[in-house]
Amino acid sequence: MDTHNDIKRRLLREVMQDNLATYTAAPPLPPAVHTGWAVVGKMLLVAMAVVLLPVDNMSTVISTVIEPQSEIPIATVIEAPRETPQPALVTAPPPKALSQADESAPEQRVAALGPPHVEAPPLAYQEPFPASEEVGNAKPTFLAPTLIDLAVLPLEVRKIVIDPGHGGKDIGTSTPGGLAEKEVTLDIGIRLRHLLEQAAFEVVMTRDKDETVPLRQRTALANTQGADLFVSIHLNWIDGGQIRGIETYYLGPTEDPMLLQLAAQENRDSGYALADFRKLLDYIYLSVRRDESRRLAESVQRTLVTALRRQYPALANRGVKTAPFAVLVGTEMPAVLAEVTCLSHPEEARLLATPQYRQDIAQALWQGIRAYAQALNRFPKISQERRLTHE
Amino acid sequence: MSDTNGVLHVGIDLGTSHSAISASNGARHVVDSYIGWPMDMVARKVLKKSVLIGREALENRTMLDLRRPLERGLIKEGSGKDAAAVHELLRHLLTLVGVRPDDPERPQVRAVVGVPAEALRVSKQHLRQAMKGTADRLMIVSEPFTVAYGLEALLHTLVIDIGAGTTDFCVMNGHYPTDEDQRTLELAGDAVDFRLAALLRECHPEAQFSIHMVREWKEQWSFVGAPTARAMVTMPVAGKPTRLDITNEIRTACESLVPPVSETMLELVARVEPEYQEKVRHNITLAGGGSQIFGLGAALEQALVEVGGGRVQMVSDVVFAGADGGLALALDAVDTDWEQLVM
Repeated sequence: MDTHNDIKRRLLREVMQDNLATYTAAPPLPPAVHTGWAVVGKMLLVAMAVVLLPVDNMSTVISTVIEPQSEIPIATVIEAPRETPQPALVTAPPPKALSQADESAPEQRVAALGPPHVEAPPLAYQEPFPASEEVGNAKPTFLAPTLIDLAVLPLEVRKIVIDPGHGGKDIGTSTPGGLAEKEVTLDIGIRLRHLLEQAAFEVVMTRDKDETVPLRQRTALANTQGADLFVSIHLNWIDGGQIRGIETYYLGPTEDPMLLQLAAQENRDSGYALADFRKLLDYIYLSVRRDESRRLAESVQRTLVTALRRQYPALANRGVKTAPFAVLVGTEMPAVLAEVTCLSHPEEARLLATPQYRQDIAQALWQGIRAYAQALNRFPKISQERRLTHE
Repeated sequence: MSDTNGVLHVGIDLGTSHSAISASNGARHVVDSYIGWPMDMVARKVLKKSVLIGREALENRTMLDLRRPLERGLIKEGSGKDAAAVHELLRHLLTLVGVRPDDPERPQVRAVVGVPAEALRVSKQHLRQAMKGTADRLMIVSEPFTVAYGLEALLHTLVIDIGAGTTDFCVMNGHYPTDEDQRTLELAGDAVDFRLAALLRECHPEAQFSIHMVREWKEQWSFVGAPTARAMVTMPVAGKPTRLDITNEIRTACESLVPPVSETMLELVARVEPEYQEKVRHNITLAGGGSQIFGLGAALEQALVEVGGGRVQMVSDVVFAGADGGLALALDAVDTDWEQLVM
């Protein structure tokens, strides 16, 4: 039994640790992983693998996932490396190992994540979409969906949900100087809201303060609000601090084993049960939504790269990519997740600490959304002109 | 002036409404958290000061660029003027306890400052910046934790600190509280003021009043439950001083705090290990200016009835509970700890 003085001593020691962590801005420990959630995470991984992988590889993957080939306990398997600031849920900054994916071989990238849950599915490795200048020309990894002629649908963008990544207990990534991803994303989100509202869009924020909002709640908000677009804002973290770049995700399949593993890992606290997740997966291949998400992602990526490169030419265009992040799976409208820059790059971190840079990013996001919305909103008018011409 | 070896320990409760300091030399002061700079040459000539702080600033507000720099208990982000105002406030507090910040011979100042329970790390960094040049060593801790530490309520207790900007909750379980043990509601005294002002505008559309008047009325009359007296105040109606009964408006505004505070209290109690929940329920402490709302403790006890009952008590010294707790912490920390917290 601790005496009163023992408790005081312990408290003082913990106060000191907390203060030193603030002083040195050490990243917080990743959230504890409970066995129950680990099981859910494993189930989600199975579900993701079943749905997202090509049929001819499915049986191999299922057997691989269901019968772990290692003796490692599940909890150990899913836990992220402790030195990596791991977001609790679907988080934007891919873990360090993943972020380096573009430069290293897949085997090395899997190994870099620590003890793997299962061996990587025996899939042919496919590069993520190239980080090219031609943002819109991403290499498709599946049959392109049949486009619906938007001229037949009076589609308009009116309501936009902005999702500032992380928040509350989920700090996201953070720099040694104490700049936390959750704060930057919130600030950019609020700036973006102002810009959109000035342009007469209706805006809903998944959070407008520092609070923990589960991913399920974020997507539910977007769905119940009947939003037209969903834009999730995150910052990337790429180990080594040498890379600074922008990438934008939309929902789609991936054959990258790293991304599958990441999705399982990052979706584990999403709040979805397996049954819910299956229903959600039904939405994945709804071609219109998927295609519109891609268009939105391309538009956002293009304006981000163009606008920010004008001022910071060293920014890399890491391209438009697909990944099964839960916020993208759970939303029923065109949705993108933008990694607006890399907090791991010292110069980017310095710039992100300035209101002007955050404003620049918000402005670029706004331009991307506006360009997409204008293109969409223009369709009915164009079709009417066409109709008149025909007449 | 310093306690030993040229060192002065201080505990500071930086509040949205009031800021208090307790020092190891026995000095204790509280000021209104207002800072004002004369707006022009005329104001400077009349006031004969370059900066006014506290009540003096409030009373001369018409001539000042008046700032209340602590929003929700933290420096307002993105405002250099507010950061400067907090710096002035801290300098002033230290001056009140006998420290002249610019004096090279001054003692080493070791300060413990309380911040809202869920303050961001960046916010703490802002505070640290503002403290530069005033304190030599700085420890930043959760505000309700300082209250608990000062009361030596370290085990199986729940502290609810109702300030102006935030209501902070902290369960003490023998460890420094983590995010799981703490909550911050942005519903506190200021929210009551705004609610009261809105109600008054609705009920007495002709009446003229400022938020400062509303705040004073609330501080004088606040209550929940049954009134013990009628809240009679005087305010101009169409320019004519008029006596009005605002009892119902006061009650409605104050009672708006009860549901969120009760819910958060019950939620935190429910998170405690089951075998200790009863102990925690019977060790709930109300602190901060908002705890002076008459009948609030009873209302919270009423909310506890549905989970088996409990006891809510008020700190004996509402004004200095946080600052005194900070000072106790400052004095208990050893030299080697302080040496790691160099500004």
